[in-house]
Amino acid sequence: MSMIDTSAQPTAKATEVTDPSGTSRRRRRRRRARVTEQAPQHLRAHLTAYLMITPMVVLLGIFVVWPLVYAFYLSFFEMSFYKDAEFVGFDFYKYVLTDPEFYDSLLVGLKFALMVVPTILVLALLLASFLATLSKRMAAFMKTTVYVPAVVSSVVAAIIFVFIYQDEGFANWFIGLFGQGPLAWLNTATTALPAVAVPAIWLGFGVSTLIMLAGILDIPESYFESAKLDGANFWQRTRYITIPSLRNVILFLLVSGLTLTIQEFQLPLVMTNGGPVNATNTPNLYIFNSFRDATPYATSYSLTAALLLFIVIGTISLIIFRVVSSEKSSDA
Amino acid sequence: MRQRRLRIVAATAVAALLVLAGCSSNSATSGSSGENGGPAEITFWQSQFEPYQQKWFKTYVDKFNASQTDVKVKYQVVPGDTWQQKLKAAQAAGTQPDVATTNYGGIPAGVTNGQFAQLDGMLPDKAWSDIKSNVAGFVQVGGKHYAYPMLVEPSTVLYYRTDLVKAAGLDPNAPPKTWDELLTWAEKLTKGKVKGMTIASVAPDLGWSSWGLQYNACGHLPINDDWSAANAKDPCYTKLFELYQTLFQKGWIPQQPKVGYPDATPYGQGQVAMMANGSWAVGQLKQTFPTMIKNTAVAPFPSVDGDPGKPTSTLGGWTLTVDAKSKHKQAAAKFIEYLLAGDPAIMADFFRQSGFSKYTVRTSVDQALASDPAATSDPFMKIITDKVVATGKAEPAYPFDVSLAFATAIESVMKGKADIPAATQKASDAIDRVIKQQRLKGTAPKG
Amino acid sequence: MNRSWYAPRRLLSYLLVVGIAVTALFPLAWMAISGFKSQTEVLRTPFQFFPDVWQLDNYRLILADPAFVRAMVITFAGAVIFTVASLVVNSMAAYAFARLEFAGKRLWWLVCITPMFVPAMAILLTSFVVVSKLGMLDTLAVLIIPGVAASAQMFFLRQFYLNMPAAVEEAALIDGATRWQIFLQIFVPQSLGPFVVVGIASFLGYWNSYVWPVLVVSNPDLTQIMQYLATFRSARGNEWGMLMAGSTLAALPTILLVLIFQRYIVNGVRLAGLK
Repeated sequence: MSMIDTSAQPTAKATEVTDPSGTSRRRRRRRRARVTEQAPQHLRAHLTAYLMITPMVVLLGIFVVWPLVYAFYLSFFEMSFYKDAEFVGFDFYKYVLTDPEFYDSLLVGLKFALMVVPTILVLALLLASFLATLSKRMAAFMKTTVYVPAVVSSVVAAIIFVFIYQDEGFANWFIGLFGQGPLAWLNTATTALPAVAVPAIWLGFGVSTLIMLAGILDIPESYFESAKLDGANFWQRTRYITIPSLRNVILFLLVSGLTLTIQEFQLPLVMTNGGPVNATNTPNLYIFNSFRDATPYATSYSLTAALLLFIVIGTISLIIFRVVSSEKSSDA
Repeated sequence: MRQRRLRIVAATAVAALLVLAGCSSNSATSGSSGENGGPAEITFWQSQFEPYQQKWFKTYVDKFNASQTDVKVKYQVVPGDTWQQKLKAAQAAGTQPDVATTNYGGIPAGVTNGQFAQLDGMLPDKAWSDIKSNVAGFVQVGGKHYAYPMLVEPSTVLYYRTDLVKAAGLDPNAPPKTWDELLTWAEKLTKGKVKGMTIASVAPDLGWSSWGLQYNACGHLPINDDWSAANAKDPCYTKLFELYQTLFQKGWIPQQPKVGYPDATPYGQGQVAMMANGSWAVGQLKQTFPTMIKNTAVAPFPSVDGDPGKPTSTLGGWTLTVDAKSKHKQAAAKFIEYLLAGDPAIMADFFRQSGFSKYTVRTSVDQALASDPAATSDPFMKIITDKVVATGKAEPAYPFDVSLAFATAIESVMKGKADIPAATQKASDAIDRVIKQQRLKGTAPKG
Repeated sequence: MNRSWYAPRRLLSYLLVVGIAVTALFPLAWMAISGFKSQTEVLRTPFQFFPDVWQLDNYRLILADPAFVRAMVITFAGAVIFTVASLVVNSMAAYAFARLEFAGKRLWWLVCITPMFVPAMAILLTSFVVVSKLGMLDTLAVLIIPGVAASAQMFFLRQFYLNMPAAVEEAALIDGATRWQIFLQIFVPQSLGPFVVVGIASFLGYWNSYVWPVLVVSNPDLTQIMQYLATFRSARGNEWGMLMAGSTLAALPTILLVLIFQRYIVNGVRLAGLK
């Protein structure tokens, strides 16, 4: 297993390469040749690498970095598009950061992500493990089936789930079997957010399952075979082979899932409009509502709130990166 | 082999991108000429509403374009949920439309921002004098006109099912006059799966739909007249909070509304016996639930103490404005004059299309409709005109944040999250913060 | 494995398949069937799966609308170009970040990964200013190009490339292959599964985009499918029958694509054929 991980951390010794010192040409060549023999994956290929990342860097530079820098610049003004914008320094940051509703919405977004992302991960892992065992035809059917929810637009999904939560809806029928309810799912502070999380999970698990499946299929068959010979059961194989081998994929699903979920907007808008009393007021819904006015203030305020949200998401993702990769080194 | 195919794919993709990038350059400078003899081209953005409105706009924009050669209008419908984003983005880039739909509440702030062209002198005097007196002030700031009004729609009207009312032993000809009576009706009309009524129950909807009732309860909104301080803790609001709270907590309104306040579907489908909704719901009922019309009656929303002279509704509605940076202001004004201020038959046609769910702002259009049997025989129009529109107030011009703060207080009380003193204290603090941050003090429009 | 519990296991597996299929397909089925309902029937309580009367009007009206057909075609074309272009751009960068060492790698990595965390709301206005300055408004290019470089996609492919055993490259380098050859001949063919998964996600992302097209496109010829569907929506009552029928028809191409390409999501052929 450790074999997989060695390549996962291309050790960064880039400084060696750029050494412009007076080492003679021959010596350098010899050294490079030696490097090639010993650890060819560390062969420096600057030019190739730059060529490979150039299209991405250029496009991101034009369509994300430039707008982002410009947005940060604008956030120091109360921007009117008709009069000269007024420089206000950090005023808008202060306004957003002193608004209790901003923190409430962040908390809602985080709670929402904590309900949705881990659930999707577990579901996708189980489902993908299951799909990997199916026959070819069955797998073909299932790969398409699990993906289907993803094509249903979130507006339509939201309406379907509003029905499920109605007084005589499926959810109340179900808890009725256990002698509970009925509950006003979408209008009770404790149940509203989980109730909105369910369609989010439903919409998101398909693509995650396919990603997980692609990851599982990427694990050499021999690992599982030898584990089976050793008498490992499904849970043991999952714990000791699948999950460690999927660490890279799981890191991706964790970070991208969090980034997307914390920004969920359409589901609460349609299902609860942020209620009851802001219990489902996600950050983007909060920003959307503060954008409603046509005033320069509203424009600057919502822009600043969105930039702060960016910082929050970036920070959390950074922490996840750190935690996951430190776990990796302790494992190795 | 495989490699070659991939190379071809990659090359094609790159080529496609280049072609696409190339395509862009030729259409960059679209529109607005006019100097070189051709017609002045103006763009017009309409916020998307009910389908019949789009049809009406399209018809008359086409007719206008065909009727003369000086001005050519490019008409575009913009979805309501992305209107602000699209307009602000366009303003930031300088590609905003020459003419746009603007609601009454947005005019004062827009004028402060320098966003609208002043229209005095650009439309004939008789166009301005045609506007009814209760609306005239809505489109003026500091005595100058910045918009031409199209229609008014009261935000809050009471609709009720005469058949269910009779069945409950109530008199359909004597609708509730006070809030207490309304609660009695709601209680008696709640039977099994049919709830007594619908009304807004989430802050973003309550924010604007409760303005009329805020006026009704206290005679003022939760802010001082000069916008210098919050006025949300006035004890006269207690009755308002209790109205919403009782309706919700007794289960006389749906606990989990399927749609927002402005959508009349639950009433149309017979899930509630009464409905608080704007006058536009008349249009939706006529178009989508025509069988419901014969069992439906309308009344002004009850008043806190039964006084029918107190406002229960704000008059929302739409106007057309000309952008301050438009290069063709006169051409834009000409289009507005044709559409909204010219031949009364054009606007009369609009109100007919709307199923008389919206109300006129011009005396001449009233006269045109007075001879229209469809208008005079409409069962709802006269009641709404005489009893709701007549007492209706202008929408507040302050930022929506103020409304949202107070609405959050209402929702908190409804759903038991806070008692009235705590909720109003929180709203009051939030409103004071808005006043300070948005420098509202002293900026209230004189009216 | 002993035979006595093999049969129940298979049965369990079938039950699971059916259960998952029902959960996954039910809402789509409801959406498709609601397309046959009249306007007033869709939101009716209590919930009803089938319509009282099956009526074809919604589907017929939409299919007969040239604007719908045009929106489907133009969106599909855009989505295909978009998907191919983003696979090219992002997989190259992913390979470089996963397998190559170069000066300033950490910095460039930050530059390329940070955009993933930028909320669309934060750069909506300024992106619009940028594309309008570049003269891109109202073109197919403005719908496609700004989203081609996608950090998430690059990140995803990089994670897969990281998993490739180092032996792969070692062998090829000894044989004198260049990095480009390794990338195109070994990495790309070995990662068809991930390519399909990420390609489907890109396609869907383009297909479902709504706010950006509304902002940058006013030419009716370029109307995207989600813009078209939005014409049935309004705060004052959606046209439910039409919306359901339209959404169902709009979902078909994406489902079809998965049906076609799912076969590539299979066991990796990694290392096969390598010495």
